[in-house]
This record gives sequence, structure tokens and C-alpha cells, in this order.
Amino acid sequence: MPERLGNRIKEKRGELGLTQAELAERCGVTRKTVNTIENGVFTPSALLAIKLARSLSVPVEELFWLED
Amino acid sequence: MTERTVAEKAEYLSKRRARMLPVLAVIFLSQQVTYFTTVRDLEAVPTVKISAWLVLSIVLLAALATKGFWLQPKEVRDLIDDENTRANRGDAMRWGFLISMATAIAIETLTMFDTVKARESIHIIMTAGLAAALIRWGYLERRAHRDA
Repeated sequence: MPERLGNRIKEKRGELGLTQAELAERCGVTRKTVNTIENGVFTPSALLAIKLARSLSVPVEELFWLED
Repeated sequence: MTERTVAEKAEYLSKRRARMLPVLAVIFLSQQVTYFTTVRDLEAVPTVKISAWLVLSIVLLAALATKGFWLQPKEVRDLIDDENTRANRGDAMRWGFLISMATAIAIETLTMFDTVKARESIHIIMTAGLAAALIRWGYLERRAHRDA
């Protein structure tokens, strides 16, 4: 069975009161990219995952995990 | 008129491209269908029409292979071509290549039973490959823009 990358971007974004567009701007990507990562459609690179974690002030392993 | 930020402009252009890609693919394909159903012989198609097809093919190929939006500022172009777009573009190019190869194999098989002119073969392979890549890219971009 293929592995998937789970995430809690939406939850952490909500806690900080950020929109997808605002988070995207902080990371230097478009809202579309944040949207696809949040929905599990797109798996980000390590670089973008770290940028997202930094923008949301959480460790990367708290933001992403491997789903069985 | 209010001035758009770079992010807003990139978002707007990216959405517009997602809407336009399937339309372009249909226009491109219908142009070819007209050639093969009304003319039957590609040699009889006027040079102007063939040149127009060639120019459109080059523009579409360039849009697929580069960031596109050549007249936009660099920061807008860089943002539009972010990680997700690059992945979608790469996937579309892969599909285009595979469909081109499958079409070439089909034509090669057909030549065992019938004569197919080189010019017609090139035309069909290019059309199938480009259209497949455009449709795939359009599908991926539209899906990416869709909200949860």
C-alpha cells in the first residue's frame, strides 16, 4: 500500500488565524500549492516542508507524518 | 483600478491558465481534425495554414517547457512556476512523451498494412503528444485550484 504524508497545516494555520494565501506568501509559493498540500494531493519537497513548519512556528515532524 | 500584489497577480494568472489549457487543447485538436477530414491530403493544405499550426505548436511547446507568461515581471513568473506547478508541468510532459511514443508505435504498425507519409506521421505524433500534455496539465492545475 502506498505511503501518504499526513499533515495538520489547516489546524495550525487556523490557530494562527492565517488564510491559505497568507501562508503561501510567507513561504513564497501560490495559494494553490498550500491548498494541494493541505488536501494531501501534493507532497512537498523537504525544503518547502521546512518553510511551512517555520512559517507556522512548529517543528516539521509535528506538521507532517507518515500515514500507513 | 487597485494595484494587485505579486501573489494576487500570480493567483489570477494561474487560475486563468488552468481554465485556458483545455480550451487550447480543443482548439489545437479541432484544427487537426479539420485537416484530416476535409482535406485528406496534408500536401493540399495551404502553406499559411500549416505555418499557423506550426507557430501554435511552438508556442504551446514553449509554454509547456518554460514558465510561460513571458511578458510578466520575473517575480510573478517565478511565483506562478512554484513547486506544485513544476510538478504538474513535469507530469504533463511525461504524459505528452508517452502518448507521442504510443502514437509513433501505432503509426509504425499501420505502415505494415498501408502507406503513411512522413509529413502526416510527424503531424499526428506532434498533435497527439502536445494535446495530451495540455489536457493533463489543465486537469492537474484545475484540480489544484479546487478548494477542499
